[in-house]
Amino acid sequence: MPDMELQLGLALPTPNIMKGFDLNNHGLHHLKQTGCFSDKSKRSFDQAFGNFKQDRKTKTLLLWSGQPNEEEDHKDQKKTTFSAIDDNDEEEVEQVVGWPPIKTWRKKIFKQPNGAGGIENNRVADKEKSRSIYVKVKMEGVAITRKVDISLYLSYQTLTNSLIAMFSKDKKCGDDDYTRYILTYQDKEGDWLIAGDIPWQSFTRSVQRLKIIRNRD
Amino acid sequence: MQKKMMYSFPDDVLEHVFSFIQSDKDRNAVSAVCKLWYEIERWCRRKVFIGNCYAVSPRVVIKRFPEVRSIELKGKPHFADFNLVPDGWGGYVLPWIVEMAGAYPCLEEIRLKRMVVTDESLELIAKSFKNFKVLVLFSCEGFSTDGLAAIAAGCKNLRELDLRESEVDDLSGHWLTHFPETCTSLVSLNISCLGSDEVSFSALERLVGRCPNLKSLRLNRAVTLDKIANILRRAPQLVDFGTGNYASELPPDVLLNLAGAFSSCKELKSLSGFWDVVPAYLPALYSVCSRLTSLNLSYATIQNPEIIKLVSRCPSLQRLLVLDYIEDSGLEALASSCKDLQELRVFPSDPFGGEPHVSLTEQGLVTVSLGCPKLQSILYFCHRMTNAALVTIAQSCPNLTRFRLCIIEPKTADYLTLEPLDVGFGAIVEHCKDLRRLSLSGLLTDRVFEYIGTYAKKLEMLSVAFAGDSDLGLHHVLFGCESLRKLEIRDCPFGDKALLANAAKLETMRSLWMSSCTVSFGACKLLGQKMPRLNVEVIDETEPPDSRPESCPVEKFYIYRSVSGPRFDKPPFVWTMDEEGKIMH
Repeated sequence: MPDMELQLGLALPTPNIMKGFDLNNHGLHHLKQTGCFSDKSKRSFDQAFGNFKQDRKTKTLLLWSGQPNEEEDHKDQKKTTFSAIDDNDEEEVEQVVGWPPIKTWRKKIFKQPNGAGGIENNRVADKEKSRSIYVKVKMEGVAITRKVDISLYLSYQTLTNSLIAMFSKDKKCGDDDYTRYILTYQDKEGDWLIAGDIPWQSFTRSVQRLKIIRNRD
Repeated sequence: MQKKMMYSFPDDVLEHVFSFIQSDKDRNAVSAVCKLWYEIERWCRRKVFIGNCYAVSPRVVIKRFPEVRSIELKGKPHFADFNLVPDGWGGYVLPWIVEMAGAYPCLEEIRLKRMVVTDESLELIAKSFKNFKVLVLFSCEGFSTDGLAAIAAGCKNLRELDLRESEVDDLSGHWLTHFPETCTSLVSLNISCLGSDEVSFSALERLVGRCPNLKSLRLNRAVTLDKIANILRRAPQLVDFGTGNYASELPPDVLLNLAGAFSSCKELKSLSGFWDVVPAYLPALYSVCSRLTSLNLSYATIQNPEIIKLVSRCPSLQRLLVLDYIEDSGLEALASSCKDLQELRVFPSDPFGGEPHVSLTEQGLVTVSLGCPKLQSILYFCHRMTNAALVTIAQSCPNLTRFRLCIIEPKTADYLTLEPLDVGFGAIVEHCKDLRRLSLSGLLTDRVFEYIGTYAKKLEMLSVAFAGDSDLGLHHVLFGCESLRKLEIRDCPFGDKALLANAAKLETMRSLWMSSCTVSFGACKLLGQKMPRLNVEVIDETEPPDSRPESCPVEKFYIYRSVSGPRFDKPPFVWTMDEEGKIMH
């Protein structure tokens, strides 16, 4: 199986903030209405992929059905025996509603205002420790979710470089060479957006989760 | 001769005797003795508990019990806590308040659970009941701080305002200023669920300061650590305290002050809160630990060794709520330090994470059960379990009345033997003869239900998910569990046969919830037709259930007994199966 070249396409950056940013030299990405997921998924997401415009004021949104905050992936696909969930390894597995049986407000305990989702207490009163911002990173087609500490990066470029290195070890069946990927993130309001639209610092304060999705032209 | 003597007692003597009978069950028994006793009893019943607000209409209650002072109502099905019941389903309290406003001017207490409460309802309460004392809103929603302001301003003798786990539209922290300066009657105030808006802290301080009988105070997350010492010093008589935010940058003298404030509360037995805890400030609690009987750390993201340090100092602990950061090692410390433990709840810190990232296993629960034989109530989230562990727990804690185990991954087998967990849960129901509540999880066949039907004779509430093989499983439960009142089932292969064969059983229960099972629309129709004293409600958010063949399974339904017929406040996605086999809407 030939190695794929991963290229993470980002939204066109605001020139005065991100100078020297490498634009994806394959040109614009068009996100189609049908999206990246096959029809086999019983619980297919309602996705709204808008046309990605060169005008950077246009935000392209990924809208997930159900409650975005409750979506998680089942890393061990073998154990998935829910009747409502597709066993296909390549598909995203949507969270089973109401399971595990935890009251909604308990899930909110871990939502820190600074944006990191689902990790141990990272709020430390000690001034010497810097604040880590761990977020989960999921790549489409890869079973394992990883975590990155966003506070370690200074720009989108350094983040994407690191992500490419992290995920290039994962091999998937059925992908063409040079499959292009798009880095998306979930913001504080629960919306999924394409990374790169807003200044890096705002991004670090807003990002809850990252997801790398395939872009099929 | 004896009969004559009984009737020769004047009514007020009987009434006096009845006043010593408090429990609903006993009162119901008394009222069934004869017509005379029924009449006397109904005029002197002061407290009414209605487990399902749709089981009876307010008018019927008022007609039978004209002199009620205290009412408790429950609304939505339990699975509403986990988002299985769509918004708008029902459970509105306003119709009750409207009727009671006219009929019960002396009403003093209203306790509600899982109901929709509006500001209008709260305003009506404040206006209508001159001697109103207690308002408990447990897991309620639909109201804002404006409604609370009305209560604060209008209820001159308010003793208890408890908003536990409710969803409040937090418009402004100033509602607290509506408590008049003359209000000194507060005994219990629980505002822990309020959002992160600024609470009017000066108003809170003054309120606390002028209520000498305040025994229970639970603050919300917005109240910062530096403010707590002042509050505690104004209320050293507190028995139950919920901190707000337990993170801050405190200069050392403020920390000392906090420790002093805690130690001045000589009656303090119960602590909760601890949002955003910074471990460095936990030693401020150490002086009260030896007296603590109840500790709720389930919002606190502290880990070991801090948890162990805290728990080991609490030898009187009876109740502990904690996150799985406690790990097996912390539970071991708990087992050796807290011999009086009666209730343990361990919640998952990362419920959707998949792989466990803390070392909390079945072993922790086994250790606690061996060390704390007085345990009555267990709620435990974990990733793995064995039959052997469950057998040990069952044998060590025969006094269990509530056992809820949630193995996070559905259909997880015994990880050592790879067998179903039937035998383990079987041991629980066999050894714990007073078990009233049970929640199952893991890989389970029909056999576990056979055990439950055989042994769980006192079981009142059963929660089942992703379990069983066939209708036989459901049949065992409906046939065998004599005390069953509430049954809730999701994602099980249970269909029509067991349900229809045990239809009469449903009239002896409060309610049955089933979702993602294989019960057909036809069976629901049949039940609605044949059982007029049951409300059979089908919930379908996509289309009317009769737009599909009768053999199609319904996604969700809720069956409950009622003396007041079908309800009229149903949303568009709920259909009642009526006596003519039609669907009502």
